[in-house]
Amino acid sequence: MIQYLAYLSIMTGIYGILSLSLNLQYGFTGLANFGHVAFFCLGAYTSTILVVLVKGPFILGLLGGMVAAGLFGFLISIPTANLKEDYWAIATLAAAEIVRLFFLNEDWIFGRGPYHGGAFGIGGIPRPLQSWFSATTYPFFYLCIVILCLVLTYFTVRFLTNSPFGRVLKAMREGDDLPLAMGKDVSKFRMKAMAFGGAMGGLAGSLVAHFWSFIDPYQFMPIETFVVWAMVVVGGKGNNIGALVGAVIIQFFYSSTLFLKDFIPIDAQVLASLRMVVIGVLIVLIMLFMKEGLIKEKKRIYQG
Amino acid sequence: MPVFQVIINSIIRASELSLIAIGLTLVYDLLKFANFAHTEYAVVGVYLALVFNVNLGLNIFTSVLLSAIFTGLIALSIDRMVFRRMRDSGRVILMVTSFGLGLAMRNTIRAIWGPTPRSYTIALQKPISFLGIRITPVQIWIIATAVIFMVAFHLLLHKTKLGKAMRASSDNPALAQASGIATEGVILWVWFIATSFAAVGGILIALETYLLPHMGFAIIIPVFCATILGGIGNPYGAMLGALALGFAENFGLYLNFGNIINLGGLFDFVKEMHIPTGYRDAISFGILIAILLTKPSGILGRKS
Amino acid sequence: MLKVIDVHKSFVGIKALDGVSLEVERGSITGLIGPNGSGKTTLFNVISGFLPKEAGEIYLKGERIDELPPNEVAGKGLCRTFQISQAPEKMTVLENMLLAPKDQMGEGLWNAFFRKKRIMHQERHNLEKALYLLSSVELIDLSNEYAGNLSGGQKKLLALGRILMADPEIILLDEPTAGVNPTLNKSLMRLIEDLRKGGKTFFFVEHNMKVISDICDKVYVLDFGRKIAEGTPGEIQQNEEVLEAYLSGSSREWSRKVGIDT
Ligand SMILES: Nc1ncnc2c1ncn2[C@@H]1O[C@H](COP(=O)(O)OP(=O)(O)OP(=O)(O)O)[C@@H](O)[C@H]1O
Ligand SMILES: [Mg+2]
Repeated sequence: MIQYLAYLSIMTGIYGILSLSLNLQYGFTGLANFGHVAFFCLGAYTSTILVVLVKGPFILGLLGGMVAAGLFGFLISIPTANLKEDYWAIATLAAAEIVRLFFLNEDWIFGRGPYHGGAFGIGGIPRPLQSWFSATTYPFFYLCIVILCLVLTYFTVRFLTNSPFGRVLKAMREGDDLPLAMGKDVSKFRMKAMAFGGAMGGLAGSLVAHFWSFIDPYQFMPIETFVVWAMVVVGGKGNNIGALVGAVIIQFFYSSTLFLKDFIPIDAQVLASLRMVVIGVLIVLIMLFMKEGLIKEKKRIYQG
Repeated sequence: MPVFQVIINSIIRASELSLIAIGLTLVYDLLKFANFAHTEYAVVGVYLALVFNVNLGLNIFTSVLLSAIFTGLIALSIDRMVFRRMRDSGRVILMVTSFGLGLAMRNTIRAIWGPTPRSYTIALQKPISFLGIRITPVQIWIIATAVIFMVAFHLLLHKTKLGKAMRASSDNPALAQASGIATEGVILWVWFIATSFAAVGGILIALETYLLPHMGFAIIIPVFCATILGGIGNPYGAMLGALALGFAENFGLYLNFGNIINLGGLFDFVKEMHIPTGYRDAISFGILIAILLTKPSGILGRKS
Repeated sequence: MLKVIDVHKSFVGIKALDGVSLEVERGSITGLIGPNGSGKTTLFNVISGFLPKEAGEIYLKGERIDELPPNEVAGKGLCRTFQISQAPEKMTVLENMLLAPKDQMGEGLWNAFFRKKRIMHQERHNLEKALYLLSSVELIDLSNEYAGNLSGGQKKLLALGRILMADPEIILLDEPTAGVNPTLNKSLMRLIEDLRKGGKTFFFVEHNMKVISDICDKVYVLDFGRKIAEGTPGEIQQNEEVLEAYLSGSSREWSRKVGIDT
């Protein structure tokens, strides 16, 4: 049970990072990014390539994953200037699927050796400092790494959203006209928000790859994007604590089947579907009755 | 594979997609949001037809008609519970809501019917061969049904009072309302038509392959692609977009791009160059992104 | 200061600007009037870079600005307000004010992390300025209110205060007094005159002829996208063509409302 709790906490922490990063993009900047999972995917694959193929250290994988995902964020931010928000959202969804299809089809990347790649996925991804711990204690060590990353991410985002930089992001959320009239180069700010948020998503990706020590393209389906969206809108968009609370709640539902199956006499398949029904209905209810989410955006008060 | 076969396959794919795309474009235009639950209505129709056909033993034609009607009615009740309360919400909010709704619908279906593929009870399909093409009777029915529904739609749009009101409301909702057209009534009719067409389109796909709970989500990007390709709000554009996409998907895999690069044999740069089958889906994703980047109003543009 | 030469702009079926030329002198208060739909807002949009013109040239301090995006026009010292006030609803009045200053170091990602001291200093300075300006537009009591909760008139005041935070050389105001109550209006006008004495240039759209004749040095009149008159407020009020335009304007406004293009 305690093992399971460690697992759940690690996953919640990783999704918490994803949620914070989407919150920066959607909650603060108003960018409806429907391709968020691409950051997760790129982070995981880049990190795996750097550690497994290049034989680099874990930290290189983390940084590489962040850079790759950040670059992708920069790339998809380019058309925001000329596209309506909903068109852009659809385009990001398609872009993320292309990234996934790339890793699904290009199995040569991992060569013929023990790592298969493609639809078979890649196993045996090294876990950092694994030899120092026993199999039972390792998750707790990894949990510490995840918590460290989460805390760093949280404070970075909090700092940024409270800075003059974040102020411009918040102004852009309600349209470009005003920030433009005030001389702000909105496309540059959007690029930064996408690249920075992307890098955070990449961090989550490499964390998940080295934790599972196995990845395949099916772990990065579009649904992951919407699970993260559920976290942001349920927790409260534009509020970093809200994003984390949302991550906890949704992750709880998402993983609940694993322990509910012992108590509720329903087929595991059905239960797995029902938890997604719950998440879907939760999104609709929040949108209908609590647009601000559980935790409202905090008003920024300046002391005179 | 003979080129005629590729043409036939393209037309079949286009027939299936176009009925779904027509509905998406109508709702998108009238209610101003990208309905991510649209293809899930198709799946609802698909499984309702299964109930009528397999459980109640009705023949497939009756099942299709009943299922289309019931899907339309379900859409109306969902509109009443959800979208009607959100008529003046922003595009992103509505998109996210529709996504949550779609998630709930898809997984409800999965919870009820399970994830395994199913099929309707129809006569065993003996392919007919001519000119080196093989086509099954069901495939002929698919094309015929699509044509019948498209013609019916055309007549509805131009020969009925409802069609006139629909066109007026989508051109200028405020003006339409001012001139005494009951916009809310039109919205209900559009929901009904859009989703019952989607149901029929979904059943056509299921007839050719099989029934799967996630078949709706699998075609969401192709349907969006066809819709945007044809220009949002233009049902004829949606049909044309579906046709173009059907051809692009099939010929994209069929063509030897090596020939094109070698300028039809003038040079010998590369031997053979095909788009790998694994990238079949990426064709629609790529077209979607390309059209959004270059001409977001679609090939036919918005309605004239 | 600002020179507009033969600018053309049309929308589907309408010539919104049909060869408009005008000049705004440094340190002047220049008015722009015209019936509804005569192209005043469109002219502001073209000058400030929000709409591309089809022909013509625009110069700011002798430098051509008509190919620049709006943020760069603003960077050159020309700021404008909007006829329909733009104020991010989920930002407080103070945040709105602090958004405006140019060259904020903290807007760069790198600086935000590594130059905290200097940014804090800049923020403190801007905050003082913001509070001072908020008292001059009488919004000080609402400093920490969400801008979304302000009335239309208050939003107009906020727009003026915010633009002063950006400290541009020339300010374009689109109907700054619409919805603002008469007493406050008076003090607004006084504020504008004071600022002009401090060297700022104003170019503004206004429907209230009283305001125009009280503070404007020069007035331009648009009708159907064409400049039909220019001169001192006194001259304008005597002008036959202007009176004519305003009289027939009422029927045109009506026809515009019911959706007939004129
Ligand atoms: N984006 C647009 N698309 C199409 N037509 C437009 C657009 N903006 C303005 N117009 C039209 O151009 C003409 C000039 O409009 P403009 O807003 O410049 O008038 P105005 O003088 O500011 O009027 P008002 O006093 O009502 O503010 C009007 O006929 C208007 O309908
Ligand atoms: Mg105007």
